[in-house]
Amino acid sequence: METKENKSSSEFLCGVELLKQGAEARLYRCHFLGRPSIVKERFHKRYRHPALDDKLSHRRTLQEVRSILRCRRAGILVPVVYFVDYSSNCIFLEEIVDSCTVREHIASSLCSNRELEQLVEQIGQILAKMHDEDVIHGDLTTSNMLLRPGQDDVVSQLFVIDFGLSYISSLPEDKGVDLYVLEKAFLSTHPTTEDLFEKLLKSYVAASSKSLPVIRKLDEVRLRGRKRSMVG
Amino acid sequence: MHLTHQLELFPDHRVTQVLFKDVKNAAELRQSAVAGKINAALIKPAMVVNSFQVLVAANKAVHLQKTGKMKTRSLYSEIIFSLSPTNNISEAFKRFGIADGDDSVLLVLVHSEDESQLLADIKSMVNGQQVPVEDVSSLTDQEKIKKFYKVTPQEEKCGTLLDAVVCRMAIKDVL
Ligand SMILES: Nc1ncnc2c1ncn2[C@@H]1O[C@H](COP(=O)(O)O)[C@@H](O)[C@H]1O
Repeated sequence: METKENKSSSEFLCGVELLKQGAEARLYRCHFLGRPSIVKERFHKRYRHPALDDKLSHRRTLQEVRSILRCRRAGILVPVVYFVDYSSNCIFLEEIVDSCTVREHIASSLCSNRELEQLVEQIGQILAKMHDEDVIHGDLTTSNMLLRPGQDDVVSQLFVIDFGLSYISSLPEDKGVDLYVLEKAFLSTHPTTEDLFEKLLKSYVAASSKSLPVIRKLDEVRLRGRKRSMVG
Repeated sequence: MHLTHQLELFPDHRVTQVLFKDVKNAAELRQSAVAGKINAALIKPAMVVNSFQVLVAANKAVHLQKTGKMKTRSLYSEIIFSLSPTNNISEAFKRFGIADGDDSVLLVLVHSEDESQLLADIKSMVNGQQVPVEDVSSLTDQEKIKKFYKVTPQEEKCGTLLDAVVCRMAIKDVL
């Protein structure tokens, strides 16, 4: 049933720039309340049962905004939430202007080795802080991190985005898997960067107060992954 | 001096903000508002970081009105309630609505057409000096806001006070 309440957001989104069509959500760029904004719209998946679909979309939207606030409280840079339309599962977010993804930044080879090392150290520290707050991102990649270069004596800022698959957990296993997902993504998008990823982990360990069991789990998950690939 | 913004999601709704200083009749204004004789939300400027915060509250209130999900009796009280980081309605009025002894007030109007007549009505009711809405920042009580919105020191380092405030307003229903 198309309810009246669903319309204002969807009608508005018809007239703005579509940035990205994902599997679960569409991303739009627009001006909202006069500010550059990004809208994330979770749409219906036709193969899912409508009631279940609604529930899932709704839950993901809730998880996403809760994780965002939790991160902000801990001093992790994430886009500000401006408005949530729960009736159509749209989240209106601050657009991180003048930024590029960490993926693009690394690939552009514009930065020196020293800069790359600093960058991954920064990432390690942020992830340590996030995990110490029990936020599991669920989809860590270098595309889900935005870098806003600093000017003159201002340090560059690193934002974590897309908390659509995030959840709260204190289990070392969940954190280990979170890091494993990043490792896989990192090494496949940025070839021959094993050393760089080790640096990232090192700074994670140094910055987190609870990293020991997490790294142990990461090692376990790596081993499992390798065994699985050997079996084929 | 006033500020009018058309809501992107509700193009037939405009939000107008008007700021007064040296207000002499706050008690009378508050009573008129309670009696429904003023078509505006009367807000304590000390609790406002800047006009964007008010737009966020107004947009949310109109959305809840349209979806039949308001927690209060009118659009104007819903705007005041939306400013608050908690779900306690009476506390929201106490903190964000004007009090009888206040000497400044930020009026927020939601309307469809041209605001000139509404503005004239408002100006005739307020015994005070109209100043630019941007001046609200000079009336902000930052310490009070930090305390009431529970802004953490780490958060202050990574973003503005406005960011912290707006984020809590947007998310408070699901905490
Ligand atoms: N809040 C944001 N500010 C700026 N760009 C964003 C934001 N969210 C997403 N993007 C861009 O949209 C792309 C896809 O986002 P996502 O689907 O969330 O991974 C990202 O790689 C960014 O380039």
